[in-house]
Amino acid sequence: MSFLLSKLTSKKEVDQAIKSVAEKVLVLRFGKDDDPVCLQLDDILAKTSHDLSKMAAIYLVDVNKVPVYTQYFDISYIPSTVFFFNGQHMKVDYGSPDHTKFVGSFKTKQDFIDLIEVIYRGAMRGKLIVRSPIDPKNIPKYDLLYQGI
Amino acid sequence: MGLFYCPLCRLTAFTGRRHLYSGSHQQRLREALGRLQAKVQLARKMIKNAVVVKYEVGEHEQLFWCLCCKQEVKRHLSHGSLTVLHGGLLQHMASLEHKKEANKFWWENKADAKIKEQFLISPEDYERFKSSLVKALDAYEEKEDEVIKEMASHIREVEQSRQEMLHAVLEPQTGTEFCDESSAFSTPGGHKSDITIITEEQLGPSAIQITPDLDWMEGNHALTFIGHQESEGKGNVHTGAKPPWLTQDEEEFGSKQQIGPSYEEFLKEKEKQKLKKLPADRVGANFDHTSQTGKGWLPSFGRVWNQGRRWQSRHQFKAESGKDRDSQRKTQKRPKSELQ
Repeated sequence: MSFLLSKLTSKKEVDQAIKSVAEKVLVLRFGKDDDPVCLQLDDILAKTSHDLSKMAAIYLVDVNKVPVYTQYFDISYIPSTVFFFNGQHMKVDYGSPDHTKFVGSFKTKQDFIDLIEVIYRGAMRGKLIVRSPIDPKNIPKYDLLYQGI
Repeated sequence: MGLFYCPLCRLTAFTGRRHLYSGSHQQRLREALGRLQAKVQLARKMIKNAVVVKYEVGEHEQLFWCLCCKQEVKRHLSHGSLTVLHGGLLQHMASLEHKKEANKFWWENKADAKIKEQFLISPEDYERFKSSLVKALDAYEEKEDEVIKEMASHIREVEQSRQEMLHAVLEPQTGTEFCDESSAFSTPGGHKSDITIITEEQLGPSAIQITPDLDWMEGNHALTFIGHQESEGKGNVHTGAKPPWLTQDEEEFGSKQQIGPSYEEFLKEKEKQKLKKLPADRVGANFDHTSQTGKGWLPSFGRVWNQGRRWQSRHQFKAESGKDRDSQRKTQKRPKSELQ
């Protein structure tokens, strides 16, 4: 499904996207196009992208092409999804240890739509961190992988 | 002949007691008795089959005006949570006082003696009412019991379904909890040794979630692990390092010596400023220069005029040119003057 969404292939493009997308939630999916879970997530993103077009801009980023970002966001598992608003990184409390990114695929399209709406409304109210509206049992669990903590 | 006050007509009659035989008094008397009669007839129906209902505040506190006794009497008879419809009226009508007062009223107002019986309940009728009331009370109690039993069975049903659901939710969880964790956490490669698996117990009570719906994750593939991201002193999002989109690229740094907007941008802006000075309502101010124009954009004034009225030739031309012109006209907005 990755062919339905636009891709960012270099650090410059990612920079440009983060800086230029205004008044919208920028969704960056870090992953690989042929990964099975990435394919699932891309399917959800592609199918919701039109409905969310006024609220979100969705881009796919290959982890191997932007090592700077992969390193900065500490991406160990793909797919990892990161959210921005007006060039600001939006953090979300998923109930998991990591607030900086969403790891794994969403269960349903509605989960993703809900999350985008909550981020959008939170950002409009000046919040840098929002609480995820997704049912905790629909959030994939993974082990915390930060410097062996 | 003296003054006579008629309480029914509420007036002082100078004709004395002769007023009682007058047409207006008799008319008023008939009307008043008719109103009471309607109420009594409703109550009489209850003699054979009394009705017992649940007591409702307000609804069953109605009073009625007894014309003969000149006082308000309770219409329904209520006791506790039960109400006997029209019981009060029947009780009052059967009483001896009412009979006395009725006789007096009939005498005083010279009413028709034939209808007097309708306003009195005989002791026999009252006994019949009592017996039917006993039956009605029994029936009502039975009905209440049934309703209570129904409600109880409904509550039991709901409770049972709730228990069943609770079992269904809890049972698979205890069985599959460990498999779920291992499948979700399984990562390819031999790096497992340096991963600290944080179990739910270590995360504390807030992280413990009831996970009955994990078949969604089970069907999933495990996430792909792409290796640790070593920060090497650069820091990352967790340490609050400077984000990459704010750091300038080196090669960009070298090439972009020029500060401020480029010359091309300046020219474009200058052009825009020039346009702003022109009157805003000039012709074609908002004209879109990039829009497409078809071959039918030229104005057509109709055919050559030979005879008749000018509009006739115009209409003829329109009919000849057909519908394709019409459709073109819809797509291309043309000023009205050109269409003539």
